[in-house]
Amino acid sequence: MSDTDDTSSFDPVTVFEPTEQDLRSGSDDCYKCSTCDSVCPVAAVDSSFPGPKFQGPEQWRLTRKEDTEIDDSIMGCSNCMRCDGACPSSVPLSQMHNTARGAYVEQQRFASDAVAALRSGAFRRAASIVRDGVADFRERIRNRLLANYYTAGRFASKLPRVANAATNFGPTRWLLERVLGITSERSFPSFATQTFREWWADRGGSHVENPDKRVAYFHGCYANYNTPAVGKAMVRVFESFEYEVLVPQQRCSGTPMFANGRLDDAKRHAETNVESLAEAIADGAAVIASCTSCSMALREEYPELFDIDDIDAVSEHTYESLEYLRHNEDLDAVLSESSGDAEEYVYHAPCHARNQGLERQAVELFSSVDGVTIEDVGDSCSGISGTYGWKTEKYDNSMAIGDPMFTEMEAAAGEQGMTECPTCAMQMSHGTGYSITHPLELLADILTDDPSASSDR
Amino acid sequence: MGAMTVAIDADVCVIGGGLAGMTSAIAAAEAGASVRLLSHKKSTLRQASGLIDLLGYTPAGEIVADPFDAMATLPDHHLYQRIGEQAVHDGFDLFDAVVGESYSGDHTAANALVPTYGGRIKPTARYPTMTAAGLASDRSPVLFVGFERLTAFDAPYVSASLSSDGMPAPTRGVTISAPGSHRPDTRLHRLVHALDVNESVSTSTGSQPIRDALARRIEPHLESAQRVGLPALLGLENAPDVRRDLERLLGVDVFELPMGPPSIPGQRLEHQYLDALDDAGVFRTTGNPVVAFDADAGRIQRVYIDRNGSRVPYTASQFVLATGGLVGKGLASDRTALSEPVFGCHVPHPADRAEWYGDDPHTDQPFARFGVAVDRSLKPCDDSETPEYDNLRAAGGVLGGTDVTMELSASGRSLASGVRAGRLAGERSN
Amino acid sequence: MDTKTEVLVIGGGSTGCGIARDLAMRGVAVTLVERGTLTDGTTGRMHGLLHSGGRYAVSDQESAAECITENRILREIAHHCVEPTGGLFVSKPGDSEEYFERKLSGCAACDIPTERLSGEQARAVEPYLAHDVERAIRVPDAAIDPFRLCVANAAAAREHGARIETHAEVTDLLLDGDRVVGVELAHENDTGQSVPTERIEAEHVVNATGAWAGQIGAMAGVDIAVRPSKGAMTVMNCRQVDTVINRCRPKGDADIIVPHETACILGTTDVEVDDPDDVPESQWEVESMIETLSELVPILDGARTLRSFWGVRPLYEPPETKTSDPTDITRQFFLLDHADRDGLAGLTSIVGGKLTTYRLMAERISDHICERLGVDAVCRTADVALPGSDNPMRLEDAMASFDLRSPIARRSIQRLGSRSSSVLSIDEPNPVICSCEAVTRAEVEDALSEVGTDLNAVRIRTRASMGNCQGCFCAHRMAALLHPDHTVETVRSSLDALYEERWRGQRHALWGEQLSQAMLTRFLHATTMNRAHSQTASSESIAFERFDGGDDRGD
Repeated sequence: MSDTDDTSSFDPVTVFEPTEQDLRSGSDDCYKCSTCDSVCPVAAVDSSFPGPKFQGPEQWRLTRKEDTEIDDSIMGCSNCMRCDGACPSSVPLSQMHNTARGAYVEQQRFASDAVAALRSGAFRRAASIVRDGVADFRERIRNRLLANYYTAGRFASKLPRVANAATNFGPTRWLLERVLGITSERSFPSFATQTFREWWADRGGSHVENPDKRVAYFHGCYANYNTPAVGKAMVRVFESFEYEVLVPQQRCSGTPMFANGRLDDAKRHAETNVESLAEAIADGAAVIASCTSCSMALREEYPELFDIDDIDAVSEHTYESLEYLRHNEDLDAVLSESSGDAEEYVYHAPCHARNQGLERQAVELFSSVDGVTIEDVGDSCSGISGTYGWKTEKYDNSMAIGDPMFTEMEAAAGEQGMTECPTCAMQMSHGTGYSITHPLELLADILTDDPSASSDR
Repeated sequence: MGAMTVAIDADVCVIGGGLAGMTSAIAAAEAGASVRLLSHKKSTLRQASGLIDLLGYTPAGEIVADPFDAMATLPDHHLYQRIGEQAVHDGFDLFDAVVGESYSGDHTAANALVPTYGGRIKPTARYPTMTAAGLASDRSPVLFVGFERLTAFDAPYVSASLSSDGMPAPTRGVTISAPGSHRPDTRLHRLVHALDVNESVSTSTGSQPIRDALARRIEPHLESAQRVGLPALLGLENAPDVRRDLERLLGVDVFELPMGPPSIPGQRLEHQYLDALDDAGVFRTTGNPVVAFDADAGRIQRVYIDRNGSRVPYTASQFVLATGGLVGKGLASDRTALSEPVFGCHVPHPADRAEWYGDDPHTDQPFARFGVAVDRSLKPCDDSETPEYDNLRAAGGVLGGTDVTMELSASGRSLASGVRAGRLAGERSN
Repeated sequence: MDTKTEVLVIGGGSTGCGIARDLAMRGVAVTLVERGTLTDGTTGRMHGLLHSGGRYAVSDQESAAECITENRILREIAHHCVEPTGGLFVSKPGDSEEYFERKLSGCAACDIPTERLSGEQARAVEPYLAHDVERAIRVPDAAIDPFRLCVANAAAAREHGARIETHAEVTDLLLDGDRVVGVELAHENDTGQSVPTERIEAEHVVNATGAWAGQIGAMAGVDIAVRPSKGAMTVMNCRQVDTVINRCRPKGDADIIVPHETACILGTTDVEVDDPDDVPESQWEVESMIETLSELVPILDGARTLRSFWGVRPLYEPPETKTSDPTDITRQFFLLDHADRDGLAGLTSIVGGKLTTYRLMAERISDHICERLGVDAVCRTADVALPGSDNPMRLEDAMASFDLRSPIARRSIQRLGSRSSSVLSIDEPNPVICSCEAVTRAEVEDALSEVGTDLNAVRIRTRASMGNCQGCFCAHRMAALLHPDHTVETVRSSLDALYEERWRGQRHALWGEQLSQAMLTRFLHATTMNRAHSQTASSESIAFERFDGGDDRGD
């Protein structure tokens, strides 16, 4: 007999790598009820977006090994992940979207298809792919820039005043919009003159030593570069309960990268994070995040998308800050006996908080505090979804999605906004002009007398 | 570290956020208890039509005009018989209070006849006010309007089918294209949202509000019609305004035909119930499943929800299981057996899978009766009819015994058992 | 009503349709009659494997050689029906190494190209193969859509002047002395009732009814010893593998997984039955397939199953052989000339065989009949592409010209082949009717224009209602497209026929996700649409005045 290699000309070559994730079996759970579509904020305002059911279980189920093309519409998804929380059948929708988006970006027709077309002798086709690819190029650079806020933030914070001036300076903004498609409708977040980490170093690190009660703070990019006050509040709150706070080395959680299909970048950052957080966990710490998108990434997206040593341990030991306190200290009792400055808050639950089962947490906790009133604006999405609302072509959709939230906020009694998510906060402020606070800041004010740091934004 | 030590406590803990669970929670709160509602995903309310059925057909298949009359003829083992007619009244009273003016049907004990999007006439006990002008018993002429891209609702066929079923009103059906620029696969909620906020759309005569544009497209087809029936997509929060605007613009009554999933009337109803939960002071935790529990001396002590691998405890003195049936995932199955996944309650079913189904899809199917068996106080029982736990009650779709899909009693079951389980739990917890 | 034809073919499976095409292309006047929809018999109830011949390379090399030849031909003439998946014969610990080697050498002897793979290499091809798969042989197996293949053959026959009659059951053979001179037919109308019979006179009648051949033979008093053997197949919701996976061992039940369109089909069992219309559908067959094949692909255990179905092999063995185990009965085909065999002229039967060699069988029988009829024409079926396979369409072109999302465009042009443009280029919006299988309204309407009111015939042409919801969300949409060309009564009976057909197979998958789906389907159809009741309670008897007459609050 002979081992001929005739089969390779007879049959298509294998495209899937053995380790590659195949999410087709995720469609097993779908019974087509469309509940996912009914909660999708993008599908409600964007006529060209075919919704999560199509993007997820339908598109995956229709895929065969040799199929490499993913429909363009995947880039319309804002990664709010509301579909995940909605699906009565637990279809891994956002994992399907994230993976498909990663594959889509990876296989930009620019590269692989042009090569394939050249190989098959379709020279004209190859040329047109390259032409289209150049048009796509701008979008890819822009998405890459938005996805890598960590890097941008690192440079901007070296010279915060210059960065603040440059990013919001008219001609610069015009250039950003024209050349890169970043909307000029929004003001860039301003960079703090002292980052959280600089403050932490200046302060000499933790003021509490307690091997029995340790938390490792994952501040994320935003609390570090833009709102160190949130990080400082976290430290005040946890230290008031005698926790030793660790601030491990860390990079971006990856949230903006998932949303822009840059899984490679996200993985690089994840590797650093997992390594240093796992070390803290080994030292007896729980990982605490103040940004709900960061905790979402560490908890859910990491194990779904990456295979890194200790990633499951990090996922299992990561908590949102108030969530952790509530279940480890009798926070409900403490708060029901506390009082705060009389203030009326209007609260929006970020989609990613919702996905972690935290949508009512702030409202429940603060409603028992004497003097504080807090009103939930309901289950609408703010519409900014991290980087989504920064894209020129998505800006109108973003504002249309946010409209019901703006309306609710204005109808509510309070004029002080509250949310856990920094980009939701931008959108809330952008739509209403309200100033927005983080629950940790209010909690710190209620629990501690130290009025310091609250002004340092 | 990591171990969640401080449990969140309430008098009554309800597991499941559908119609039965929310009804239980409100009933328990009204009985004076502090209540925690734990729900995992969006409930099956978004899959149900939004009609509230009590009893549409007798077990013999006769259509029911007066459900309370017909209830007396139900077999002894039927849920309504077991928990009593009063529980059904109580369930509907609670429902009527929650929905207020947005539903009709509470002015009479009789069922109403509502046209379905499948072109049939269906008996139901409560129907959204948005649907009220569409009753099949009304004799005024109807124009059904469908949309080109919405293939689930074929208005000319629905019209012909209803006529052939004897609907007394003259009917016509027409298919139009929805105003605004859409792709063939634009989602239903796109149109719902546009109508809700009365978005401006561009038309051949310039841009105008979508409600005006829609009325303008319907108008040429009106002829002698005194009612216009549309698939249920006329907005969410502002649905009454959408209907009023269309009625004003067209000069006739406008109504919606309840649709299959994703159900807009179901979504509206869900919002109303969530408001009612807030008003009743019920605390809600959503987004995570209950995965474990501790029991001692025949009582449930606490349940744990799973948050990405960590377990969060919730304690209560009374528990209500309202996790739904096969669709809501309150029942699980594999090739060999059925189970109730939260507390492992006994679910009676034939050992041989071949006996789970019958040959005719339109007739009675054993699997449609699967669910936990309960005593008269709605406590799930083991195979010797002994309550599994002293402080656990069940309500809604998780209950077995009756094929509610055939007799049209799913909502009635949820309301009656929900109010009874919730009230008993609330009273016992005090 | 009497009509005439030269050759009348009974049976709308792959063999019958293949014969009709072959004869029609040779200029013979053909009428094909089928009692149900095309492929209703064995053709539509198989796992969709286009054999490389590898399965027969040890036991039956003649069949193996025929398979590889026909495999190559069908890739050319029917490429819109064929997915070149490739196949693997895999060995687990304990499977005979010696047999593995004999398989390799047998393939070589039959000109079947092979490639020897290590367990690692096999898992690189199919990541979900079990860890302990030790070695594998790669062969050019492929997946074939028997529905599309049959329909394309019928369409080609029609293009060459043949008449194709479905829902027309042969009730008798017409005899003139010791000669068959035609058939008597009962047609069925749109709502399933029989209407007056038709007599068709023919110079020659071909009995291509496979497992049912004995029943047709009996009408003329000839004995055809078909030994029908049932085989169970289970359809998975999605593709766990993209390559045909065979267990490399001599024989046995439950040894093949065929990726088919969006699904995988598990096969099969082999149990002799008495009556091809009365096949016991046993639960154990389903369990055994899932359990046994999970040894090869572990994720099958616990994966969602959509349905199971049973096919009947038209096995035949000459009267003198008396094989006891049906798995030992040959898979060869037999041409029975009843003039030679039974002294009954004008009738030829074809029995045995398999889908992969349908064209060859059709060629042989057409040669035979042409000789009987004195027609001098050569077979061209291996050289001419089937309708749909003549001019492939590029995905990019399809997406651009039909404005469809990429997976929908991809699946649509795979089904429609060169007919894509004529079917999908329409001016109106073209929404998807069946989102599980990505079937648009234009494709459903195209199928309807061919088949009248039979939604199961639409289903086999388009795959609409064959996905995970099994018709829950699309059956009524498909049915509504029959209106207003057809009456409400016809729409309802067509919908019920489709719904019932979907139910029959789905019953055997009622656990886990599919049980949830079935319950949702029931809620939607029985409760929300109220479709179940109106069938039993005549709505004319509704006393409207006894119901809620409305209140004033609505205004």
